Amino acid sequence: MTQNLYHNKTAQWMVYAVFFMCLFAVPTIVSDGFLLNQFATYGVYAMLALSISLCWGFGGILNLGQGIAFGLAAYGMAMTMQMQSQDASNPLPPFMANNSLDHLPFFWEPFWSTGFGIVLALLVPTLFYVIFGSLMFRARVSGPFIAIMTLAMLSALYTLILDMQPYTNGVNGISPPAALQIFGTEIDPYSTKAYWTVVALLLLTTVASKLLTQSKFGLIVQSLRGDPERVRFLGYDVAFYETVIYTVSGLIAAIAGCLWVMLVQYVSPAQLDVNFSITMVIWAGIGGRLSLLGAILGALMIQGGQSYLGDQFLNTWLLLLGGFFILVVRFLPRGLAGLLEKVLGMMAGRQRRGPDPIAPPRIVGAPAK
Amino acid sequence: MGVLEIHNLHKSFGGTHVINDFSLDVTELTLCCLVGPNGAGKTTTMDLITGRQKPSSGKIVLRNDDITGLGEHEIAQRGIGRKFQVPAVFRELSVRQNFEVSYSREVNPFRNMFRRQPAGFKAQLDEVATLTGLKDRLDVEAGVLSHGETQWLEIGMVVMQNPAILLLDEPVAGMTESEIEKTIVFLNQLKKNHTLIVVEHDMSFVREIADVVTVMHMGSFLAQGKLSEIESNPKVREVYLGEPEI
Repeated sequence: MTQNLYHNKTAQWMVYAVFFMCLFAVPTIVSDGFLLNQFATYGVYAMLALSISLCWGFGGILNLGQGIAFGLAAYGMAMTMQMQSQDASNPLPPFMANNSLDHLPFFWEPFWSTGFGIVLALLVPTLFYVIFGSLMFRARVSGPFIAIMTLAMLSALYTLILDMQPYTNGVNGISPPAALQIFGTEIDPYSTKAYWTVVALLLLTTVASKLLTQSKFGLIVQSLRGDPERVRFLGYDVAFYETVIYTVSGLIAAIAGCLWVMLVQYVSPAQLDVNFSITMVIWAGIGGRLSLLGAILGALMIQGGQSYLGDQFLNTWLLLLGGFFILVVRFLPRGLAGLLEKVLGMMAGRQRRGPDPIAPPRIVGAPAK
Repeated sequence: MGVLEIHNLHKSFGGTHVINDFSLDVTELTLCCLVGPNGAGKTTTMDLITGRQKPSSGKIVLRNDDITGLGEHEIAQRGIGRKFQVPAVFRELSVRQNFEVSYSREVNPFRNMFRRQPAGFKAQLDEVATLTGLKDRLDVEAGVLSHGETQWLEIGMVVMQNPAILLLDEPVAGMTESEIEKTIVFLNQLKKNHTLIVVEHDMSFVREIADVVTVMHMGSFLAQGKLSEIESNPKVREVYLGEPEI
């Protein structure tokens, strides 16, 4: 019996393996530090698209506020890196002195320690997602209302950080003067070391997400996307499951936030901007939210296109992107990955029974990639 | 002592009494049909038992365990499985995956992360797939099943849960004659080792499956007994069955 190759698990893992081997091979071809740094930031965007695919694609939770985790983690990382340039004789970052603070605010104190700082950068957004998520999901908020609530929370945090000028340097943001020092070495953002750190973590999060979607947990999450009521009557605590998948996706976005600051040595409220969070959803939507790799490729394609085609077409690029997005939403609700699924499915169908006036039932052996 | 006991159940929506002092005792390994005219409160009773709605007063006891007012998933975990009036299956998943999700021995999300196929699942899947006649359809997407097959799938999902008691809300609604016959065969098989409550309108279907028939009228208990007793009960005739045809 021929199956749709798209649903073949071995084939899926092979495609993932090839994709990551290509990513790891990039530094052997590209030696320019600037380009490597740029590719590494694409890796960070890919990780964000992955996190959106997990909660929106698999869990059906349309999260328009993924910038919450990304931004909070980015601030945590920037504070950690900033404090690496301070010492006991000069404990105050320059912008605080400019804002006439005379001592380090208490919530900056833990960031003296690099390890503790990074743990906090990941832990704070994760806890935030646990609390905010369980409040939403216990109240059975669903569908577009989740989008509205996450969006509102994101805007609130954006304004909060913008307004706390003396502590966060407001709209200018924090730019740590030196590269990240960790485990006794410096990670120069323009080095292959930085690139490989990003790709390794992207690999780790992707494999973990893939395994998660293939587990019983993943199956239950996909079921509650279709019919939460039915899942509840089977004995599962739906709100608990939704909170867990939302938080896992937030943790991945938080890792992305840390890596992003490591690469650009800068953070500002722009990372919590509504536009940016919606862009993440567009990456996943165009690439295919039901496919982890599809979402990753969506991010790489759109951001790559923005950098290279954007220079050629200038403002017309945004028109092209908008038009492309409309086409995808209208004709390919499952994104480009869905197109591939359809094509492979048609090929499998033709092999199986030749021309057939009645459409064959679609054979599915596994959750969509 | 029954598996499920309902004591003096009341439910009102803003002054309108939908369920009025309803009591019921379901005996182990029987199939109890719940019948009554439209608006008698059959589906509401199901909602109250499964926790979808909270009773205004009264008590629901499952195997000596008071389950009144618990959440839906807690009641389901304690052993009440429900099939909905409008078939509810996961249309995007395959039939096998539908059964797999329904096999809910382990409900903790973290433990389910490290588990692909739980022990005992395969044997149960085989049994239920044979029972429901869906053995050849396991790899098909549930969305393409016929209406009858969808109904069987949902009943099968409830059996996968391995509940103490199965509530089936109109299991043969919209089925063809031959599908109904098949359903009768497998419900009769099912009641050998399960306790069931079936809400149904079709009296010829009830005749084929019921051990006990309970009649509801205007949210209250009207009569209970074997079908022959019910059919000759003057009160039931008046409100529900009408005059005998022959």
